[in-house]
Amino acid sequence: MKYTKEMKLVLNRLCLLICCSLLLACSVHEDKLPIFGERTVNGTDTVYHRIAPFRFVDQDSAVIDNGTFLDKIYVADFFFTTCRTICPIMKTEMLRVYEATREMPDVLILSHTIDPEYDTVALLHDFAKRLGVESNRWHFVTGAKDSIYKIAQTSYFATAMEDRTEPDGFIHSGAFLLIDKKGRIRGKYDGTKEDDVNRLIVDIKRLRGEVAQ
Amino acid sequence: MRHLQLSAFGLWLLAIGFSANSCSSREPKFQQYFVEGEQLYLKSCGNCHQKDGKGLALVYPPLSPSDFMEDNMEDAICMMKKGRKGEMMVNGKMFNQPMPGVPSLTELEIAEIATYIYNSWGHEKGMVEVSQVRTALQKCAY
Repeated sequence: MKYTKEMKLVLNRLCLLICCSLLLACSVHEDKLPIFGERTVNGTDTVYHRIAPFRFVDQDSAVIDNGTFLDKIYVADFFFTTCRTICPIMKTEMLRVYEATREMPDVLILSHTIDPEYDTVALLHDFAKRLGVESNRWHFVTGAKDSIYKIAQTSYFATAMEDRTEPDGFIHSGAFLLIDKKGRIRGKYDGTKEDDVNRLIVDIKRLRGEVAQ
Repeated sequence: MRHLQLSAFGLWLLAIGFSANSCSSREPKFQQYFVEGEQLYLKSCGNCHQKDGKGLALVYPPLSPSDFMEDNMEDAICMMKKGRKGEMMVNGKMFNQPMPGVPSLTELEIAEIATYIYNSWGHEKGMVEVSQVRTALQKCAY
Protein backbone atom coordinates (compact mmCIF):
# COMPACT_ATOMS: atom_id res chain seq x y z
CA MET A 1 0.00 0.00 0.00
CA LYS A 2 1.28 3.42 -0.87
CA TYR A 3 1.02 6.40 1.44
CA THR A 4 -0.82 9.19 -0.21
CA LYS A 5 0.13 12.77 0.54
CA GLU A 6 -3.08 13.17 2.48
CA MET A 7 -2.46 10.13 4.66
CA LYS A 8 1.00 11.42 5.49
CA LEU A 9 -0.45 14.72 6.58
CA VAL A 10 -3.05 13.04 8.78
CA LEU A 11 -0.39 10.79 10.33
CA ASN A 12 1.85 13.77 10.99
CA ARG A 13 -0.94 15.64 12.70
CA LEU A 14 -1.83 12.59 14.75
CA CYS A 15 1.77 12.28 15.91
CA LEU A 16 1.85 15.93 16.81
CA LEU A 17 -1.39 15.58 18.78
CA ILE A 18 -0.07 12.58 20.71
CA CYS A 19 3.19 14.36 21.49
CA CYS A 20 1.34 17.47 22.65
CA SER A 21 -1.01 15.56 24.91
CA LEU A 22 1.92 13.58 26.37
CA LEU A 23 3.76 16.80 27.09
CA LEU A 24 0.65 18.30 28.63
CA ALA A 25 0.09 15.21 30.77
CA CYS A 26 3.68 15.41 31.98
CA SER A 27 3.52 19.08 32.81
CA VAL A 28 0.24 18.65 34.69
CA HIS A 29 1.81 15.82 36.64
CA GLU A 30 4.89 17.96 37.32
CA ASP A 31 2.76 20.66 38.93
CA LYS A 32 2.03 18.57 42.02
CA LEU A 33 4.67 17.58 44.51
CA PRO A 34 4.49 14.07 45.95
CA ILE A 35 2.87 13.46 49.34
CA PHE A 36 5.16 11.47 51.64
CA GLY A 37 4.25 8.74 54.10
CA GLU A 38 1.54 6.17 54.54
CA ARG A 39 -1.95 6.82 53.32
CA THR A 40 -5.23 5.12 54.06
CA VAL A 41 -8.41 5.24 52.04
CA ASN A 42 -11.58 5.98 54.00
CA GLY A 43 -14.52 5.51 51.68
CA THR A 44 -13.92 8.17 49.05
CA ASP A 45 -11.36 10.09 51.13
CA THR A 46 -7.64 9.44 51.16
CA VAL A 47 -6.08 10.16 54.54
CA TYR A 48 -2.43 11.18 54.29
CA HIS A 49 0.37 11.13 56.84
CA ARG A 50 0.42 14.41 58.77
CA ILE A 51 2.72 15.97 61.33
CA ALA A 52 1.44 14.86 64.75
CA PRO A 53 0.33 17.43 67.36
CA PHE A 54 3.30 19.17 68.98
CA ARG A 55 3.94 21.99 71.41
CA PHE A 56 7.36 23.63 71.79
CA VAL A 57 8.76 26.99 72.88
CA ASP A 58 10.70 29.28 70.54
CA GLN A 59 13.53 31.80 71.00
CA ASP A 60 11.04 34.43 72.20
CA SER A 61 9.47 32.02 74.74
CA ALA A 62 6.38 31.92 72.52
CA VAL A 63 4.44 28.67 72.38
CA ILE A 64 4.84 27.09 68.95
CA ASP A 65 2.38 24.36 67.99
CA ASN A 66 0.53 23.09 64.94
CA GLY A 67 -1.65 26.20 65.11
CA THR A 68 1.39 28.40 64.41
CA PHE A 69 1.57 26.77 60.98
CA LEU A 70 -2.13 26.88 60.17
CA ASP A 71 -2.38 27.92 56.51
CA LYS A 72 1.41 28.17 56.30
CA ILE A 73 3.96 26.27 54.30
CA TYR A 74 7.05 25.55 56.38
CA VAL A 75 10.50 24.04 56.21
CA ALA A 76 11.59 21.98 59.24
CA ASP A 77 14.99 20.74 60.36
CA PHE A 78 16.83 19.34 63.41
CA PHE A 79 20.12 20.74 64.69
CA PHE A 80 21.98 21.97 67.78
CA THR A 81 24.04 25.12 68.18
CA THR A 82 27.31 23.50 69.29
CA CYS A 83 27.41 20.99 66.45
CA ARG A 84 30.43 21.46 64.26
CA THR A 85 29.80 18.85 61.59
CA ILE A 86 26.76 19.34 59.40
CA CYS A 87 24.72 21.95 61.33
CA PRO A 88 26.80 25.00 60.36
CA ILE A 89 26.34 24.05 56.70
CA MET A 90 22.64 23.47 57.31
CA LYS A 91 22.32 26.90 58.90
CA THR A 92 24.20 28.52 55.99
CA GLU A 93 21.83 26.78 53.58
CA MET A 94 18.69 27.53 55.64
CA LEU A 95 19.73 31.16 55.65
CA ARG A 96 19.50 31.00 51.85
CA VAL A 97 15.97 29.58 52.13
CA TYR A 98 15.16 32.41 54.57
CA GLU A 99 16.43 35.02 52.12
CA ALA A 100 14.68 33.40 49.15
CA THR A 101 11.31 33.40 50.93
CA ARG A 102 11.60 36.92 52.31
CA GLU A 103 8.62 38.12 50.25
CA MET A 104 6.46 35.08 51.03
CA PRO A 105 4.41 35.74 54.18
CA ASP A 106 2.91 32.24 54.06
CA VAL A 107 6.31 30.49 54.31
CA LEU A 108 7.97 29.86 57.70
CA ILE A 109 10.99 27.96 59.01
CA LEU A 110 11.01 25.65 62.06
CA SER A 111 14.39 24.56 63.47
CA HIS A 112 14.27 22.10 66.39
CA THR A 113 17.24 21.77 68.70
CA ILE A 114 18.04 18.17 69.57
CA ASP A 115 20.15 19.31 72.53
CA PRO A 116 17.54 21.11 74.67
CA GLU A 117 19.66 20.84 77.80
CA TYR A 118 22.32 23.12 76.33
CA ASP A 119 20.20 25.04 73.80
CA THR A 120 17.96 26.96 76.17
CA VAL A 121 15.47 29.62 75.09
CA ALA A 122 18.01 32.33 75.96
CA LEU A 123 20.74 30.64 73.95
CA LEU A 124 18.48 30.11 70.95
CA HIS A 125 17.41 33.75 71.21
CA ASP A 126 21.04 34.83 71.05
CA PHE A 127 21.77 32.40 68.20
CA ALA A 128 18.86 33.67 66.08
CA LYS A 129 19.79 37.27 66.77
CA ARG A 130 23.37 36.62 65.74
CA LEU A 131 22.16 34.91 62.59
CA GLY A 132 20.20 38.10 61.95
CA VAL A 133 16.80 36.49 61.46
CA GLU A 134 13.31 37.55 62.57
CA SER A 135 11.64 35.28 65.08
CA ASN A 136 8.22 35.51 63.44
CA ARG A 137 9.60 33.91 60.25
CA TRP A 138 12.17 31.51 61.64
CA HIS A 139 11.29 29.72 64.87
CA PHE A 140 14.08 28.03 66.81
CA VAL A 141 12.30 25.69 69.19
CA THR A 142 13.21 23.68 72.24
CA GLY A 143 11.17 21.38 74.44
CA ALA A 144 11.20 18.00 76.15
CA LYS A 145 13.96 15.94 74.59
CA ASP A 146 11.72 12.89 74.15
CA SER A 147 9.06 14.88 72.33
CA ILE A 148 11.61 16.36 69.94
CA TYR A 149 13.19 12.99 69.15
CA LYS A 150 9.79 11.36 68.79
CA ILE A 151 8.38 13.94 66.39
CA ALA A 152 11.63 13.80 64.38
CA GLN A 153 11.38 10.04 63.97
CA THR A 154 7.66 9.46 63.60
CA SER A 155 6.35 12.65 62.00
CA TYR A 156 9.22 14.03 59.93
CA PHE A 157 11.01 10.70 59.28
CA ALA A 158 14.27 12.38 60.27
CA THR A 159 16.90 10.75 62.46
CA ALA A 160 17.72 12.46 65.76
CA MET A 161 19.15 10.76 68.82
CA GLU A 162 21.89 10.93 71.38
CA ASP A 163 25.00 8.90 70.69
CA ARG A 164 27.93 9.33 73.03
CA THR A 165 30.29 7.73 70.52
CA GLU A 166 29.77 10.56 68.04
CA PRO A 167 32.23 13.49 68.31
CA ASP A 168 29.45 15.91 69.26
CA GLY A 169 27.31 13.40 71.16
CA PHE A 170 24.40 13.17 68.71
CA ILE A 171 23.54 11.61 65.41
CA HIS A 172 20.99 13.33 63.27
CA SER A 173 20.09 13.75 59.65
CA GLY A 174 20.77 16.96 57.78
CA ALA A 175 17.36 16.80 56.14
CA PHE A 176 15.14 19.78 55.37
CA LEU A 177 11.47 18.80 55.23
CA LEU A 178 8.92 20.75 53.21
CA ILE A 179 5.51 20.75 54.89
CA ASP A 180 2.34 21.97 53.17
CA LYS A 181 -0.58 23.94 54.62
CA LYS A 182 -2.30 20.71 55.63
CA GLY A 183 0.68 19.44 57.63
CA ARG A 184 1.74 16.90 55.01
CA ILE A 185 5.37 16.26 53.99
CA ARG A 186 5.82 17.27 50.35
CA GLY A 187 9.60 17.14 49.99
CA LYS A 188 12.77 15.93 51.67
CA TYR A 189 16.13 17.58 50.86
CA ASP A 190 19.71 17.27 52.01
CA GLY A 191 20.30 20.51 53.89
CA THR A 192 24.05 20.20 53.46
CA LYS A 193 23.93 20.22 49.65
CA GLU A 194 23.53 23.47 47.75
CA ASP A 195 21.87 21.78 44.74
CA ASP A 196 19.29 20.05 46.90
CA VAL A 197 18.47 23.29 48.69
CA ASN A 198 18.08 25.03 45.31
CA ARG A 199 15.54 22.34 44.47
CA LEU A 200 13.75 23.04 47.76
CA ILE A 201 13.52 26.74 46.93
CA VAL A 202 11.97 25.88 43.54
CA ASP A 203 9.58 23.41 45.20
CA ILE A 204 8.41 26.03 47.72
CA LYS A 205 7.33 28.18 44.79
CA ARG A 206 5.65 25.18 43.14
CA LEU A 207 3.82 24.34 46.36
CA ARG A 208 2.58 27.91 46.71
CA GLY A 209 1.31 27.75 43.11
CA GLU A 210 -0.41 24.47 43.84
CA VAL A 211 -2.19 25.92 46.87
CA ALA A 212 -3.33 28.93 44.87
CA GLN A 213 -5.06 26.72 42.29
CA MET B 1 49.01 25.72 14.65
CA ARG B 2 52.52 26.06 16.01
CA HIS B 3 51.69 29.66 16.80
CA LEU B 4 48.70 28.51 18.82
CA GLN B 5 50.77 25.97 20.73
CA LEU B 6 53.35 28.60 21.54
CA SER B 7 50.78 31.05 22.83
CA ALA B 8 49.13 28.27 24.89
CA PHE B 9 52.53 27.55 26.40
CA GLY B 10 52.95 31.25 27.10
CA LEU B 11 49.58 31.36 28.88
CA TRP B 12 50.55 28.33 30.91
CA LEU B 13 53.78 30.00 31.99
CA LEU B 14 51.83 33.11 32.89
CA ALA B 15 49.36 31.05 34.93
CA ILE B 16 52.20 29.41 36.83
CA GLY B 17 53.68 32.80 37.47
CA PHE B 18 50.38 34.05 38.88
CA SER B 19 49.71 31.05 41.07
CA ALA B 20 53.22 31.25 42.46
CA ASN B 21 52.64 34.91 43.15
CA SER B 22 49.38 34.30 44.96
CA CYS B 23 51.19 32.00 47.37
CA SER B 24 53.95 34.02 48.89
CA SER B 25 56.57 31.33 48.44
CA ARG B 26 57.42 28.96 45.61
CA GLU B 27 59.13 26.37 47.75
CA PRO B 28 57.80 22.83 47.40
CA LYS B 29 57.52 22.58 51.20
CA PHE B 30 55.25 25.63 51.23
CA GLN B 31 53.12 24.21 48.43
CA GLN B 32 52.86 20.91 50.29
CA TYR B 33 51.77 22.58 53.54
CA PHE B 34 49.34 24.80 51.66
CA VAL B 35 47.66 21.94 49.79
CA GLU B 36 47.48 19.66 52.86
CA GLY B 37 46.31 22.61 54.92
CA GLU B 38 43.45 23.30 52.55
CA GLN B 39 42.16 19.72 52.88
CA LEU B 40 42.42 19.85 56.67
CA TYR B 41 40.79 23.27 56.74
CA LEU B 42 37.81 22.06 54.70
CA LYS B 43 37.46 19.05 57.00
CA SER B 44 37.89 20.69 60.41
CA CYS B 45 37.24 24.42 60.02
CA GLY B 46 35.34 25.21 56.82
CA ASN B 47 31.91 24.02 58.00
CA CYS B 48 31.67 26.98 60.37
CA HIS B 49 34.14 29.53 59.03
CA GLN B 50 32.99 28.69 55.47
CA LYS B 51 35.07 27.64 52.50
CA ASP B 52 35.95 31.25 51.74
CA GLY B 53 36.89 32.09 55.36
CA LYS B 54 34.14 34.70 55.60
CA GLY B 55 32.36 33.13 58.59
CA LEU B 56 28.59 33.24 59.11
CA ALA B 57 26.82 36.41 60.24
CA LEU B 58 27.61 37.09 63.93
CA VAL B 59 27.67 33.37 64.76
CA TYR B 60 31.02 32.24 63.34
CA PRO B 61 33.67 34.98 62.99
CA PRO B 62 35.46 35.57 59.70
CA LEU B 63 39.10 34.48 59.34
CA SER B 64 39.67 37.08 56.64
CA PRO B 65 39.45 39.95 56.74
CA SER B 66 40.00 39.63 60.50
CA ASP B 67 42.01 41.90 62.75
CA PHE B 68 42.04 39.14 65.36
CA MET B 69 43.68 36.63 63.00
CA GLU B 70 46.09 39.25 61.73
CA ASP B 71 47.28 40.22 65.23
CA ASN B 72 47.02 36.96 67.18
CA MET B 73 48.54 34.10 65.26
CA GLU B 74 49.65 32.27 68.41
CA ASP B 75 46.16 32.48 69.93
CA ALA B 76 44.68 31.21 66.69
CA ILE B 77 47.05 28.23 66.78
CA CYS B 78 46.07 27.47 70.40
CA MET B 79 42.39 27.60 69.50
CA MET B 80 42.74 25.04 66.72
CA LYS B 81 43.98 22.48 69.24
CA LYS B 82 42.22 23.50 72.45
CA GLY B 83 39.13 25.42 71.40
CA ARG B 84 37.83 28.51 73.11
CA LYS B 85 34.74 29.73 74.96
CA GLY B 86 33.46 33.16 75.77
CA GLU B 87 33.16 36.46 74.01
CA MET B 88 35.58 37.50 71.32
CA MET B 89 35.93 40.75 69.42
CA VAL B 90 36.61 40.48 65.69
CA ASN B 91 36.60 43.56 63.44
CA GLY B 92 34.78 45.52 66.15
CA LYS B 93 31.98 42.97 66.47
CA MET B 94 31.42 40.73 69.46
CA PHE B 95 31.10 37.00 68.80
CA ASN B 96 30.19 34.41 71.43
CA GLN B 97 29.97 30.95 69.91
CA PRO B 98 32.09 28.33 71.69
CA MET B 99 34.67 26.85 69.34
CA PRO B 100 35.48 23.19 69.95
CA GLY B 101 39.17 22.46 69.55
CA VAL B 102 40.44 19.47 67.63
CA PRO B 103 42.83 17.83 70.15
CA SER B 104 43.81 15.13 67.67
CA LEU B 105 45.55 17.66 65.37
CA THR B 106 49.33 17.21 65.31
CA GLU B 107 51.81 20.09 65.31
CA LEU B 108 52.46 19.43 61.64
CA GLU B 109 48.76 19.47 60.79
CA ILE B 110 48.26 22.75 62.65
CA ALA B 111 51.25 24.24 60.78
CA GLU B 112 49.64 23.13 57.52
CA ILE B 113 46.25 24.62 58.41
CA ALA B 114 47.89 27.86 59.60
CA THR B 115 49.96 28.04 56.41
CA TYR B 116 46.79 27.66 54.39
CA ILE B 117 44.74 30.21 56.36
CA TYR B 118 47.56 32.75 56.61
CA ASN B 119 48.16 32.70 52.86
CA SER B 120 44.56 32.73 51.69
CA TRP B 121 41.84 35.34 51.15
CA GLY B 122 44.24 38.25 51.44
CA HIS B 123 46.50 36.97 54.25
CA GLU B 124 50.15 36.86 53.16
CA LYS B 125 52.09 35.74 56.19
CA GLY B 126 54.05 33.06 54.37
CA MET B 127 55.06 29.67 55.73
CA VAL B 128 54.03 28.75 59.29
CA GLU B 129 56.66 26.33 60.60
CA VAL B 130 56.13 23.40 62.97
CA SER B 131 58.56 25.05 65.41
CA GLN B 132 56.34 28.16 65.53
CA VAL B 133 53.34 25.95 66.28
CA ARG B 134 55.24 24.15 69.05
CA THR B 135 56.21 27.45 70.69
CA ALA B 136 52.66 28.78 70.42
CA LEU B 137 51.17 25.61 71.92
CA GLN B 138 53.58 25.75 74.85
CA LYS B 139 52.49 29.30 75.55
CA CYS B 140 48.75 28.57 75.40
CA ALA B 141 47.18 30.46 78.28
CA TYR B 142 44.72 27.66 78.97
